[in-house]
Amino acid sequence: MAAIEVEGLTKSFGGRVACRDVTFSVGKGEIFGLLGPNGAGKTTTLRMLAGLYAPDAGTAVVAGIRIPGGPELRRRVGLLTEQPGFYDRLTARENLKYFADLEGSRRDRVQALLDRFALAEHADRPFAELSRGMKQKLAIARALVHEPEVIFLDEPTVGLDPEATREVRSVIAELSAEHATIILCTHHLDEVERLCSRAAFIAQRVVAVHEIRREDLLRIDLAAPFAPDGVRAMCKSLRSSGTSLFIEPLAQVPDIVAALVAAGARIEAVAPHRDPLEEAWLSLLADAREQGLTA
Amino acid sequence: MTLLVLRKELLELRRSPVLLLSMASLPATVVIVPIALLAWVMHAAPEQALAFVTDVYGGQSIGAVLARNWLPMFLVLPIFLPILLAAQSIGGERERRTLEPLLATPASTLSIILGKSIAALVPAVLITWIAAALFCAGIDAVIGHSLLPDEAWLFGTLVLSPLLALFGNAMAVVVSSRVLDPRAAQNLAATTVLPLLGLLVVQLAGRIALGPRFYVVLALGVAFADVALVFVAVRLFDRERLLTKWR
Ligand SMILES: Nc1ncnc2c1ncn2[C@@H]1O[C@H](COP(=O)(O)OP(=O)(O)OP(=O)(O)O)[C@@H](O)[C@H]1O
Ligand SMILES: [Mg+2]
Repeated sequence: MAAIEVEGLTKSFGGRVACRDVTFSVGKGEIFGLLGPNGAGKTTTLRMLAGLYAPDAGTAVVAGIRIPGGPELRRRVGLLTEQPGFYDRLTARENLKYFADLEGSRRDRVQALLDRFALAEHADRPFAELSRGMKQKLAIARALVHEPEVIFLDEPTVGLDPEATREVRSVIAELSAEHATIILCTHHLDEVERLCSRAAFIAQRVVAVHEIRREDLLRIDLAAPFAPDGVRAMCKSLRSSGTSLFIEPLAQVPDIVAALVAAGARIEAVAPHRDPLEEAWLSLLADAREQGLTA
Repeated sequence: MTLLVLRKELLELRRSPVLLLSMASLPATVVIVPIALLAWVMHAAPEQALAFVTDVYGGQSIGAVLARNWLPMFLVLPIFLPILLAAQSIGGERERRTLEPLLATPASTLSIILGKSIAALVPAVLITWIAAALFCAGIDAVIGHSLLPDEAWLFGTLVLSPLLALFGNAMAVVVSSRVLDPRAAQNLAATTVLPLLGLLVVQLAGRIALGPRFYVVLALGVAFADVALVFVAVRLFDRERLLTKWR
């Protein structure tokens, strides 16, 4: 059964539609990307799923509880908010401890998370004095402090330096390995490519759900269109697009090339090819614009 | 949960020197100004002037007149102080963006309001009591014999003050659940203090003598208003509205 099942969620603010008919589902332990231009309704969707807003229409079941849910839903869900709001005059540790206590977390969680995010050294400084990246890491720690089954991360790597970005990404991967279900909102397409198994592109509504392929494809450019039937057996998947072939190889690359040449193909170039989320994103964005779905 | 919220509020308050100072300045003024004034009048004013006051107020000495009529100021204090604190603590959560993560925890609306309310009420009542004790001691020292606290004073500070503090706090909670700027919320809630200030002026003008009966009626009225207001405050504390509306 899916950990998150979203069906037709709609929300507007004073006549202005924030999101309309958002539908998708996320399996247990999956990392699911939520992509979309600014103002697409990503944060609004997460807030509804975290039980903070009641939807105008539609339903969603999160960790077995129908939203807007109550304290029990909020206990099962961890939310990294768009802005890392903490109390300026309390120290990093006091802040984290406060939220840990409100969530009823295990006692050793605060110190463990401070260590995990390399914040221990700064834990006794007032929050106001921390750097932006430290604040962001503290906010991520807060979202995880009660070991939630479902985690919503709204732009987790904003403001982080490359090292911290890597740390956070590896934490996200670990969480999913521990069977937490994660929705990741981000503008970094490479983050989605690296971490997510699927991503929804949203512009007010879910326009497309995209499977992310991790394996590299082989791209073969030909001088003319060519029916590649002779090599099908050597490929896990094969797609031809114009004069290009996109292949998931089963055999050695030189063997495939040799087979193609033997079948009469005239090859101009062979190169590894990563599944380009960026292209998909841009074309989806163009479609969304045409339909008047973006701000 | 309530206790957790309360503990955090008090910790934050302890670390806010400006807020503490503004909380202390009003009671300090209310205590020091009349005592200094009385001391100065009793030492510097001519005999006839003092006799004139005694005459106008039907035989009471100037010290007694001042002492008895200053009580309403100690009723204004416990309304005003929790307004200062509560409006700050609810509006401040929104301003510093801590409201969203707070509302995302399992903490119930009631425990958040209760924690914040107690954190506003306890310091307000304590400060009022300390100020009242200092005032009584100061007045007695200046006039040279024990005049205060009398019955009205004891009743006013021990019974009325906490009730009024509750009233001020509930008012602040109601207003700041709806009005989104903490300063505006403070101002609006503070206007509830105006009728009592009016009362003080009227009383000093000698128009009505406020006896024990008046204070009992006042206490019952305030207690009733408190219950109603607290009920309204919890009903009005709309989590979603607090998060979405910024004006
Ligand atoms: N509290 C609010 N009041 C009024 N309009 C709102 C409110 N919150 C969001 N909106 C509107 O809803 C739309 C979606 O906003 P949302 O914050 O969900 O977008 P987003 O996808 O998270 O954008 P970003 O990538 O910039 O974070 C926007 O047009 C925004 O102006
Ligand atoms: Mg957003």
